[in-house]
Amino acid sequence: MTESLKIDRELVERIAKVSRLELTEEELERFTEQLKGILNAFKEMDEVDTDDVEPSFHPVEVKNVWREDRAKRWDWDPLGNSEHTEGRYIKGPKIT
Amino acid sequence: MKNVIRKATAIDEKFHVFNTIADRLEAEREGRLAGVAVSVKDNICTKNMETAAGSKILEGYSPPFDATVVEKCRNEGAFIVGKTTMDEFGFGTFNVNTPYSVPVNPHDTDRSCGGSSGGAACLTAVADFPHLAIAESTGGSISCPAAFCGVVGLTPTYGRTSRWGLVDYANSLDKIGCMAKTAAGAALLLSVISGPDEYDSTVLGVPDEDFTRRLVDSVEGLEIGVPDEYFAEGVDEEVAKLVWGAIKCLEGLGASIQNVSLPHTGVALASYYIIAMSEASTNLAKFCGLRYGLQPPLEGNFEEQFSKVRGRGFSDEAKRRVILGTFARMAGYRDAYYIKAMKVRTRVIEDFKRAFKEVDILAAPTMPVTAPRFEEIAEMEPIRQYMMDMLTVAPNLAGIPMISVPCGAVGGLPVGLHLMADHLREGELIQAAYAYEVN
Amino acid sequence: MRAKIGLEVHVQLLTESKLFCSCGTEYEGKEPNANTCPICLGFPGSKPKVNRRAVEHGIVVSKALNCEVLPKIRFSRKSYFYPDMPKNFQITQYEVPLSRNGFLLLDEERIGIRRVHLEEDPARLVHVGGDITSARYTLIDYNRSGVPLVEIVTEPDITSTREARMFLSKLSVMLDHLGVYDPSREGSLRVDANVSLEGGQRVEIKNITGFRSVEDALNYEIIRQRSLADMGIEVKRETRHYDPESNTTHSLRKKEHEEEYGYIIEPDLVEIEVDPGWVKRLAEGMPELPDSRIERFTEEYGISRFQSGIIVNTGLDLSEFFEDSCKLHPKPRVVANWIVTYLLKSLNFEGLSLKESKVEPESFVELLELIDEGVVSERLAKELIKEYVSLGESPLSIVKRKNLGLMRTEELREAVRAVLAENRKAVADYRSGQTRAIDYLLGQVLRRVRARGRPDDVKRLIREALDVDEIVPR
Repeated sequence: MTESLKIDRELVERIAKVSRLELTEEELERFTEQLKGILNAFKEMDEVDTDDVEPSFHPVEVKNVWREDRAKRWDWDPLGNSEHTEGRYIKGPKIT
Repeated sequence: MKNVIRKATAIDEKFHVFNTIADRLEAEREGRLAGVAVSVKDNICTKNMETAAGSKILEGYSPPFDATVVEKCRNEGAFIVGKTTMDEFGFGTFNVNTPYSVPVNPHDTDRSCGGSSGGAACLTAVADFPHLAIAESTGGSISCPAAFCGVVGLTPTYGRTSRWGLVDYANSLDKIGCMAKTAAGAALLLSVISGPDEYDSTVLGVPDEDFTRRLVDSVEGLEIGVPDEYFAEGVDEEVAKLVWGAIKCLEGLGASIQNVSLPHTGVALASYYIIAMSEASTNLAKFCGLRYGLQPPLEGNFEEQFSKVRGRGFSDEAKRRVILGTFARMAGYRDAYYIKAMKVRTRVIEDFKRAFKEVDILAAPTMPVTAPRFEEIAEMEPIRQYMMDMLTVAPNLAGIPMISVPCGAVGGLPVGLHLMADHLREGELIQAAYAYEVN
Repeated sequence: MRAKIGLEVHVQLLTESKLFCSCGTEYEGKEPNANTCPICLGFPGSKPKVNRRAVEHGIVVSKALNCEVLPKIRFSRKSYFYPDMPKNFQITQYEVPLSRNGFLLLDEERIGIRRVHLEEDPARLVHVGGDITSARYTLIDYNRSGVPLVEIVTEPDITSTREARMFLSKLSVMLDHLGVYDPSREGSLRVDANVSLEGGQRVEIKNITGFRSVEDALNYEIIRQRSLADMGIEVKRETRHYDPESNTTHSLRKKEHEEEYGYIIEPDLVEIEVDPGWVKRLAEGMPELPDSRIERFTEEYGISRFQSGIIVNTGLDLSEFFEDSCKLHPKPRVVANWIVTYLLKSLNFEGLSLKESKVEPESFVELLELIDEGVVSERLAKELIKEYVSLGESPLSIVKRKNLGLMRTEELREAVRAVLAENRKAVADYRSGQTRAIDYLLGQVLRRVRARGRPDDVKRLIREALDVDEIVPR
């Protein structure tokens, strides 16, 4: 059972950082309000008794799918969609 | 073939249904789709043809491979005519959430085509050349626009079609399906695109089926269940009346009707959105300005670069869903949201399984209303928009197949009859839809 | 103050193809991004598919570590953003590991194994224009992305650096014996260590490569924590990075937020049922493990347990070398002695592994035969082993080339006579009662004949010569 949820600006800001989303002030305000509304509506999930229910991670069960250990070359150019490359490396931003 | 491109371009100019139109049509083989132009929703990869899933962050992405469903169509002689517009990544019910084309309803151009496969539905409705549309549904993105545009939309069982090459929205909910003017068209396309695929681990290992064999004009003995919850408050009266009429029609043809109850219908919406957003927020993590799509010049460290690119490349709706989805998975909230939603899903599936012990198919309105005006949509709060999906999310959550067939119009705006069946029973749906269509 | 150490060991599994796609797993010396496909590069629309052999390797490792293999395998997504992550989430196992609750025996002590699970390796980064903190940009090579890893997490049962080193060494040899890992491959074993001292909180040191570095990092960290404790400063929970250049650990850049992994079940993969019969077959088919092999060597070859231990724990290749040599030489004890006492010493001295040196059982045994036959003295043999290791030339060939066989008695007598003539003082010392002078003469003769004489024989010849010579009047 969830209590009245503290979806506040601070939490949204933290989530935005975790998910690497640069948000404007305006977006932060607006999203916080909207998310409050949405989560409020979703509260009804709490009413459902799921004490001895298994979660369904897929709607239809498929099991035991795997492949044999054989190497195959994929015929393509991995850099074909890259803007930033150096030699055959993909170029990315520095770490810190 | 040049003709088709010309016609497609003309349609696009009027209705804005394409993000990309092929510059030439090539078919290398003969087959069941010879002479047919197949349009592909923009989130399904087409080799060397721009695939942006309706998002700025994937602008310019040229897939190095075809989605399995596209390859299957090519192998049957189809031409790929272009990529139809959609809500970004599938996030939307009205096909307005995209920086690319927003398609307009052919029955009233001030109104939405529905979403997220809006472009596909509109094109299907107005195409004046042999055409079938490959579309995709996560929570109702095939049924909704099919209903709003007055065409047939078929969403198969989860795992019936391979998702290899589909830009993921929610991997346990996404299904690739078809749109056509008639049940026959949908049946043909489904027969081609369904089937096992070694590249997708979630594909059901069922043999290929020829659904066109179910185009039989008979519903004698068919048991139709009408779920109480689908005609309740929130559904427009006129819409409900038309749909009842259609159900009665089927009864007249030999089917029998009974009431059923799907008690978890209301809560399915929350469960659906939590699951969808949780999975989507992880799927969208790969878009960070590296390897494909939007790749601005490198500035600052990777945290700054990633955040900037994602801030710029995602629309509002995408950002909302990433935030919500991330929240639902976070330590401390995960049990109450992500895990809880998965358990509620079990309940929803149980509802349907119970119903299908009594009846063969379910019938209900596809959407609670007809196509809204763009101005109305602009006023709607996100939660209001999500609630528009109330009739389609439950079957989508359960992964059962469904088909929306046009059953009349209210004020000139199409209404869809939604038929749903148990897992792998697309045959029943096609037969019922065909019989209804013909009579 | 006893330390409490827990290790998370990441081991690259030996498979032909990657964990979730069919790209080859070789990446050393390959052109960057040559072994890639849309799956391991995280292209939109791609989906993973599990490599069966990787799962088998994981099960075999689990059994060797006495773990309980769980009946269902599920994968999870662990979300975090980093340039080496093609999807910005890693497919790993969170909710349900592959196995758990095992142990590794270290002498008589049990080091608890909390869990064993499978996950994919990220890409390799090259920092251009500096190190990780000062580079101008990063180059990314995805050849390594998707290589299967098995992660082995211990309980914090390790109490010293030495024990940590022993644990890793034993683990490495065991995995080598199982054939699931290649110790000679760079970066194939990486360690995160958790260290705490009594009264302090746990500090995590991430991504240490190589046993030597683990030892150094732990030593440094324990000293660091101890000095803080001595000053009355409480050691707080944090994550640090070990820098092999400066041999220090330092704090990773303080993050404003803790990493939120936001685990979900990987929805593109399905549950795999682990059939107990399959596990049984895999366990039965396991190659001989080090501890069993030590027992067997001791019994079968009659060598000491100590020597068995050294041979087996040095590496799989040395075990095989020993057994191959025993096939060619009738006395295992002799073989073991020469390996343990001289061959290993030479290898260590040259800094070579057995594989790197060109030492072969055939040539090695030839040398032992030369000793038996009296062609070469033991002292010379030790030299020959050194040369064999460093030059790669077989001892027999060196002996022939340099004409190094034991001298005939006549030649030795010649040498003795010459040395006695040149060393009148030593001779006189000996005759005047300083019997030790004979050792000096012995040394001179051996040097002159370049060890091509057995010390006992030469000594006898010297005595004979001295007694025969004219007697100096007292």
